[in-house]
Amino acid sequence: MRLRRIAATALVAAGGLWASAAFAEETVVWWDFLGGGDGVRMKQMISDFNAAHAGKVKIDATTLEWGLPFYAKVQTSAAVGEAPDVMTYHASRIPLALTQDVLQEITPDDWSKMGLSSSDFAPATWDAVSSDGKQYAVPLDTHPIVLYYNRDLLKKAGMLGDDGRPKGMGSGAEFTATLKALKDSGVEFPLGSVTASGDFMFRTIYSFMCQQGGELQTGDEFLAGDNGQKLQNTLALLQGWTNDGLQSKYTDYPATVALFTSGKAAMMINGVWEVPTMTDLAKQGKLFDWGAVELPVVFDKPCTYADSHSFAIPKNQGKEMSAEKRSAVLEVISWMDKNSLFWATAGHIPAYKPVTDSAEYKAMEPNATYSPLTANMIFDPKSPLAGIAGPIFGVMSTYYVPTLNGEMDPAAAVEGIKEELNAL
Amino acid sequence: MLKDRRSDILVALVLIAPFLAIYLLVFVYPTIQMFRISFTDAPLIGAGSWKGIDNYARLDNDPMFRRALWNTLYFVLLTVIPGTLIALLIALGVSRLAGRLQALVLALFFLPYILPVSVVYLLWDWTLNFQFGIAMHVLDWLGIARIPVTKSATWFMPAVAWVTIWWTAGFSILLFLAGLRTIPTEIYEAAALDNASRWTTFRKITWPLLRPVSALVLTIQLILQLKIFDQVYLFSQGGRPNDNMVLVYYVFQRAFQQNQGGRAAAVAVTLFVLVVVVSVFQFQLLRFAERRRQ
Repeated sequence: MRLRRIAATALVAAGGLWASAAFAEETVVWWDFLGGGDGVRMKQMISDFNAAHAGKVKIDATTLEWGLPFYAKVQTSAAVGEAPDVMTYHASRIPLALTQDVLQEITPDDWSKMGLSSSDFAPATWDAVSSDGKQYAVPLDTHPIVLYYNRDLLKKAGMLGDDGRPKGMGSGAEFTATLKALKDSGVEFPLGSVTASGDFMFRTIYSFMCQQGGELQTGDEFLAGDNGQKLQNTLALLQGWTNDGLQSKYTDYPATVALFTSGKAAMMINGVWEVPTMTDLAKQGKLFDWGAVELPVVFDKPCTYADSHSFAIPKNQGKEMSAEKRSAVLEVISWMDKNSLFWATAGHIPAYKPVTDSAEYKAMEPNATYSPLTANMIFDPKSPLAGIAGPIFGVMSTYYVPTLNGEMDPAAAVEGIKEELNAL
Repeated sequence: MLKDRRSDILVALVLIAPFLAIYLLVFVYPTIQMFRISFTDAPLIGAGSWKGIDNYARLDNDPMFRRALWNTLYFVLLTVIPGTLIALLIALGVSRLAGRLQALVLALFFLPYILPVSVVYLLWDWTLNFQFGIAMHVLDWLGIARIPVTKSATWFMPAVAWVTIWWTAGFSILLFLAGLRTIPTEIYEAAALDNASRWTTFRKITWPLLRPVSALVLTIQLILQLKIFDQVYLFSQGGRPNDNMVLVYYVFQRAFQQNQGGRAAAVAVTLFVLVVVVSVFQFQLLRFAERRRQ
């Protein structure tokens, strides 16, 4: 009895093998670094893709460790021809990737095969994946930082506008006044900031520098001209908030989210990827009335730091990609971009404009409220030294932590940063 | 009995061949390569062009390298001798216990050693967390202002040194305990008959007879701590990595973050030489002390 069952199973398995060989299903090996709440959503999208392409294209996905481990592995595997067929890549890492020669160009022919073009993306996003007029990745999303806020606490402090947004978003003085009003109404930390992680605060600081028209890198020089002064203004403003007890001190990432979700911090500047955390908690009835908006304009003009998750095709040394494989890869990328409405539930703003223009997206909250900020985005400087987990992060972080927590003078920090960055 | 020397050698060669092959492939060959690329401007992967001693000459003027060197030596100072002394004290205490109780206490002290470094990091990171850590509540209770331990340049190294000792002491305790057991009880009995005090017994019997073990523990600790990386890397994530720079971290940063294989190799060679020099020096020092005693 048992023997017969085994024989039957073996027959079915053999038949399956034969069948798949006959259909010549193309397997696309996929690597990503999406381990959090967005990873769960990506897995859903991959299985949807596989279901829609049964027998034709199949994605074989692996999730690796985010950050430096991922990029080190990509570099080493591409060098020996063992890289995947497609992978997620941060747009900010593209300049470094080009010096490492690990990416294939996405040619005009590829774009037309995918049915995508530059007009489908925000100019800043398109620029972020371009170098010398050529493109090296297809943007899936932009993920900026936003201001999360607790409506209940703001209302109690009289700082909630009639539109349901926080008051005092127009200037540094106004925003500081809002924070002070929150403090006076008994809130422990008006602003929850990741003050223990300088590399995280880089995003906020870079945004505020850009609000003054400042640039980190011009040509080969860092903080040239009055850019140093603009960084100093930013650090002084943020340090002032710490000194006045308006923002949390020495708080690391998980603690910041915990301070906000527990109602100890009334507002928080964090990435849009925390949106699922809030929506999930709210669904379970464990969260207050909350919202998320574009960063306040604390200087001259609105500006927000963003990066982009994009798709890239690795340059496998000594291994040519077949035409069939390439068109399967392009199909994967194109499908993911065109079906990225679901990706928006992870908080990220889909890069493909027809999705963000759709009625379904406009009904999504708070996504629809903050997504207009894509008009005011700034990406990392285009340098092999920039990008997530890059050397600039390390230098900045080392000076930001003591400065933001009131241990170091902003002017001294700018001097030190200038010296170390230019020594890289 | 007559023996065929030649076939003996053949058998020996066959038996050590697998080890030798692996050793040559994954240790000797990479080491030679490391020396070679330290004289080039090679990226992390691929070849570079010959640069002579450029990479080494630059180290002389490199503030980050100097900081890394200083932090590494500071860390060695904070861990090697204190760690060895603490392990010795605990081993002396444990050796006074007997039976199941001894096994239990020993297991408790050994437990941290079996934890992976990531778990050790998470445990202490949450304990020392500025907002929610248990340690901070203790400080509050004592009326001392909270200290951002892993984010302050002053407290970082001592804190990581403490965590390292907590984590690795178990192994040293085990070595000391083994050493203590090899001391014949007759000697202690004789000392007791001579009315020797506890301190005298320790100074004249235990300590001299434990010397070989102490030398071993010190050497292991020294080499291990010069190569410090994991804990420093984990604890300074997002914090102040460049203030906490140590040599292996610097090698990692140059190679994997900045894609400069040649310059990374130059730092690695420097560390290699440092470890060799320091351990040979320590070995000679211990031998010299041994001779003088005799």
